[in-house]
Amino acid sequence: MVEDGIFLKSLDLFKEAFPGRINQILKSKEEGKKIIGTLCLYVPDELIYACGADRVILCGGRSATIAAAEEYLPRNLCPLIKSSFGSVIDQKCSKTKSCPHFGLVDLIVAEATCDGKKKMYELMDKYIPTYVMDLPQKPENQNAQEYYIKELESLKDVLEKLTGNKITDAQLRNEIKSANETRKLLHAIYELRKIDSPPIRGTEMLKVLQQMHFLSPGEFRKNLVLLLDELKLKKRENSGPRIMISGCPMAAGNMKVPEIIENRGGLIVAEESCTGTRAFWDLVDEKKEPMKAIAERYLKIPCACMYPNERRINQILKLAGDFNVDGVVYYTLQFCHGYNVEKYRVGEALKKSGIPLLSIETDYSGADTEQIKTRVDAFLEMLE
Amino acid sequence: MISIGIDAGAATTKAVVLRDNEIAGYTIIPTGFDFRKAGEKAFEEVLSNCGISESKVGTILATGYGRNSIGFADKTISEITAHARGVGYLIPAAHTIIDIGGQDSKVISTENGKVVDFLMNDRCAAGTGKFLEYTAKALEISLDELGTLALVSKNPANISSMCTVFAESEVISLRAQKTKKEDIAAGLIESIILRTTAMVKKLGIKPEVAFVGGVAKNPGVVKAFEKALDIAVLLPEEPQITGALGAALLV
Ligand code: SF4
Ligand code: SF4
Repeated sequence: MVEDGIFLKSLDLFKEAFPGRINQILKSKEEGKKIIGTLCLYVPDELIYACGADRVILCGGRSATIAAAEEYLPRNLCPLIKSSFGSVIDQKCSKTKSCPHFGLVDLIVAEATCDGKKKMYELMDKYIPTYVMDLPQKPENQNAQEYYIKELESLKDVLEKLTGNKITDAQLRNEIKSANETRKLLHAIYELRKIDSPPIRGTEMLKVLQQMHFLSPGEFRKNLVLLLDELKLKKRENSGPRIMISGCPMAAGNMKVPEIIENRGGLIVAEESCTGTRAFWDLVDEKKEPMKAIAERYLKIPCACMYPNERRINQILKLAGDFNVDGVVYYTLQFCHGYNVEKYRVGEALKKSGIPLLSIETDYSGADTEQIKTRVDAFLEMLE
Repeated sequence: MISIGIDAGAATTKAVVLRDNEIAGYTIIPTGFDFRKAGEKAFEEVLSNCGISESKVGTILATGYGRNSIGFADKTISEITAHARGVGYLIPAAHTIIDIGGQDSKVISTENGKVVDFLMNDRCAAGTGKFLEYTAKALEISLDELGTLALVSKNPANISSMCTVFAESEVISLRAQKTKKEDIAAGLIESIILRTTAMVKKLGIKPEVAFVGGVAKNPGVVKAFEKALDIAVLLPEEPQITGALGAALLV
């Protein structure tokens, strides 16, 4: 990708948000607010905020905390799980102290997605109280929604008990409205990435999305408004083969592959991931009964833990077309079986549509950087 | 016009001189510790081999694992693109390229010398030249001997470890069980063939199939490949230089 040297000032708001946000959480706590930790998109923010709690994401993207986690967890486990767990258990270690928010969490609201996470939650509970909500594994089943709503009701009880506040329909509707605003802003920004010379690069966008569940929704939204304004004003010359990333989440701290892609000349125009479209794509229907509308929306998230997941393949093909993608980089974390196994069917579908695919399976270490560079170079050369 | 392609591989550095689109000469030297030094040495050597002075050289293109260390190159290109081009020049009928080098192995699907798809093995030595090198050591024979020895085996041993380190200990325990040397050698070769054919099949075989890289010089491996893929594989006269040649052609 060719850079034009024009900087987006509003991006600093996301980059520099960390210390401010920690102070904010500290203050919330002093005011008696409860802090909820989450690790997955299937846990609706709306419920947490409707009962007056605050929320931070605990997904780990850094390798520094992995060694500590491996004292408890097997080596051949997804690095995201190990990194997250490592941050929890290693609060006192100087290397991991940069995640002080873990120590401020009152309750982790976890979810039954992949096996590795589920089992890790059993261990995590020893350090921070952890509540695991169940998810229907076949979300397209007739009774799936009903079941998920029941789980949401139970979560509601848990949150109400923890905070001492009641979640009313009016509050829920308010939160839904605000969350939809955020989703619409992200759609507007992604719309700009469809054009020939998008005003924002993939590595820049990823850093924004990595903050989505770390910042408070209000602050995140405020920053997005500023970013969108700036993007509309500034014309930037970003070019290179148009790449879409698809696959596992890239939690904050994990920038390896997108950075290689853009440093080597590619231009990331979309990311089908939980630090991408899956985080904001569908809106919650504001006309429907709130719990039902929330359930409807969240069950649409096309995570590879679910079966069947044809919807994800369809979404990838649609995005590839809409964003005028030249090639897809299928990104997976080692030992993430869901996304690694689903790769085959995604690859078949892309092949049929004539869209080239490069698959990269990696972890948080830098050991394979050179190998990845070679593949990315060859892929970009092939697309040119 | 004179151009030079340098393939800075993990085990060997190759340089090819191209004069008016014809190969004027080449060299293959061990890389050693320093990619840059090896690149410089290969460059000087190939020029003196061909009796060409440095001032006559037009463009220099570097490829291979250490390509970014070759500071005097005008441009770099990935070895996948380079091999496709080099093989396309030498064996125009080839549409599938298998390259097993010291550090990695790859399978490339091509159309008119251009890459249309490729697969590379993952991050470890399994299925590469290194695998054979280490395990040959455990048999106390040279790499060349491994290939010729394997040819006489009637009953290849079953080596189940993909990992080089584990395979090495497996070889030692097979020796302790008095398994014949040639059977172990053949088993080792079958093990890397198994890995690579899985990649070839994943990508799809489009004839003709060309086999390049250092391991292609091993007759035992070539024979085993033909058997596993059920197709004759084509070898360039010098299978190690296709990357450097491709780079020289791509300037
Ligand atoms: S990939 Fe699946 S399990 Fe992971 S955060 Fe996304 S929805 Fe949750
Ligand atoms: S990336 Fe895969 S294995 Fe890791 S936590 Fe998410 S779903 Fe589980």
